[in-house]
Amino acid sequence: MIVRRLMAAMLAATAVAGAGSAAEKVPPLPPYVAAYEPTNVDERGAWMIADEDERRLRDSADVMRDPALNAFVRGVLCRTVGEDRCKGVRLYIVHVPAFNATMRPNGMMTIWSGALLRLRSEAELGAVLGHEFGHFELRHGLADFRNRRSGTDLMAWASVLVANSAAFQVDMVGGFYAFDRAQEKAADMIGVRYLAASHYPSHAAADIWDRMMGEADATAIGRHRKPDQRYAAGFFASHPTNLARATYLRSAAAELPDADGSAGVDGYRAAIAPWLPMLLDDQIRLNDFGGSEYLLGQLAVGGWATPLLFARAELYRMRGHPRDLVSAAGFYQEAIARGDAGAEAYRGLGLALMRSQQVEPAKTALREYLRRKPDANDASIIATLVAS
Amino acid sequence: MRFVRTMLAVMAATMLAVVPVQAQEKTGVKPGFTLQPGTARIVLLRPSIRVGAQSTAGMFEPNADWTQQARENIGRALAKAQGQLGNTVVDYVEPVGADAAALAEYQALFDAVAQSVIEFQFFPGNRLPTKKRKDQFAWSLGADVARLPGLSGADYALFVTTEDHFGSTGRKVLQVFAALARVPVTAGVHKGFAGLVDLHTGELVWLNADLQMGGDVREADGADKRVRQLLEGFPGRPAAATVVASAGR
Repeated sequence: MIVRRLMAAMLAATAVAGAGSAAEKVPPLPPYVAAYEPTNVDERGAWMIADEDERRLRDSADVMRDPALNAFVRGVLCRTVGEDRCKGVRLYIVHVPAFNATMRPNGMMTIWSGALLRLRSEAELGAVLGHEFGHFELRHGLADFRNRRSGTDLMAWASVLVANSAAFQVDMVGGFYAFDRAQEKAADMIGVRYLAASHYPSHAAADIWDRMMGEADATAIGRHRKPDQRYAAGFFASHPTNLARATYLRSAAAELPDADGSAGVDGYRAAIAPWLPMLLDDQIRLNDFGGSEYLLGQLAVGGWATPLLFARAELYRMRGHPRDLVSAAGFYQEAIARGDAGAEAYRGLGLALMRSQQVEPAKTALREYLRRKPDANDASIIATLVAS
Repeated sequence: MRFVRTMLAVMAATMLAVVPVQAQEKTGVKPGFTLQPGTARIVLLRPSIRVGAQSTAGMFEPNADWTQQARENIGRALAKAQGQLGNTVVDYVEPVGADAAALAEYQALFDAVAQSVIEFQFFPGNRLPTKKRKDQFAWSLGADVARLPGLSGADYALFVTTEDHFGSTGRKVLQVFAALARVPVTAGVHKGFAGLVDLHTGELVWLNADLQMGGDVREADGADKRVRQLLEGFPGRPAAATVVASAGR
């Protein structure tokens, strides 16, 4: 019984520690130390592992190395967290079509290409990067490691010493995820602080999560599921729910003094524009019709540019219901009418028309594709379609 | 953070059930392969070395100082072992830029192939249908490995990987209590493998893997022992050295 009481006391202590780091008030920024070096065994170990992983990531083929894009993203980070702080970070843009960014204890930050497609302004990009920098500045990796270690140690002892410890083990596992969520909230709070201290408007942090909820709902509807936005996080959730994040970030932004600067919508759009066709191509291959359609609609708020029309046409052609092929052909034609569509628009138009039984117009479009791109790697198979 | 989290979650879920599987075979050599002493130039790629402690529950606690000591000790021990290998071994000068990306891919490929050999060749009961013939050892990284920069004058590439989790005091105490409760708990993980790749064909000609290695890599003597075990069964070594190494086990 003593053991059990001891466990309960320790469990309560862990829970309090977790809750403590998730204060409701927006905390002030911690003092910054330049060129921080890890101090103790655990932290030095964590940095060593991160250093080894960074060697691999640095040389990975998945990193997008375009100097202009990297300079832009890094510039946003530095303007958000400040010139001195951003010196401690190596930033890698990783080609993964999902919305995420990561931070390792040694200052290795990644942002995924899917995030670049979904964000709308420099301020929103700054909110994401500031959140990740918050993990670094608050040394969350180390705290999480120690929390898991002490927690699993207790679980190991309980499994040996306590006759029926299942409920305790479940509580402890739940505690790990609650601790993670508290860290994510703390990083959100410090991120919005950076944003408020910069010249970017701090409401951008909440705007992201509003749209993420819209996309999640659209994905769910597209997959014939019920849209489900909740305030309370699930047992195994590593992050607070999107609704919770949107809510507390919105109220934090309202509470903080904000500079009157621009969100940098145009600058963001211009920096991403060269990459938009590639990012859209990644997105429509995710087999997420509802989410992709929502995303395209969001991107087209200021008007349907050619890459958006082409991506939408491809999305519909890939789903391939007879009605989709008609829509797709229409979007291809709109893109072509704008005058700056690539040869692939003629290819898609031809294939969509071919499957809609409009053989002669299809062949005309495919011939135009071959004329514009004679060395295309599918040239020979398209040629057989034209000849058939 | 999400990666780390997932990894930790998986570790937390599995660590209580960790029972190291004993490899039934430890060494594989391509049939008919021999390496005459003094005929080949071997390039040693940057060894992958991880040293740390094992927490009470079995989590790996990486230790930067121990890893640094092990890196130095193993480097020295490998240089000393050159004589036993009977051939020149030189450190690989790592390329930069696009070449570094190619090297990273080949190191990852070697790790994947080595893991496959350990899993699907060294356990006879687990062999893939295509790997069932007796005395067969057919694994390759592909002939393009020779195109890595700086390997033009070399004949073979030597890969070395070791990982050590030294059981903490807590882990050992838990082991005793668990034994009283008739629950098997192991303390410490000491595993490593070394492989030799023919740079002309890309074939893996020799692989030695051991999931329960000896030798404390944090000390010079221990690193010597570890390297002896890693190079056990190396096809090019003179017979006498093999005997010494087996005796030292």
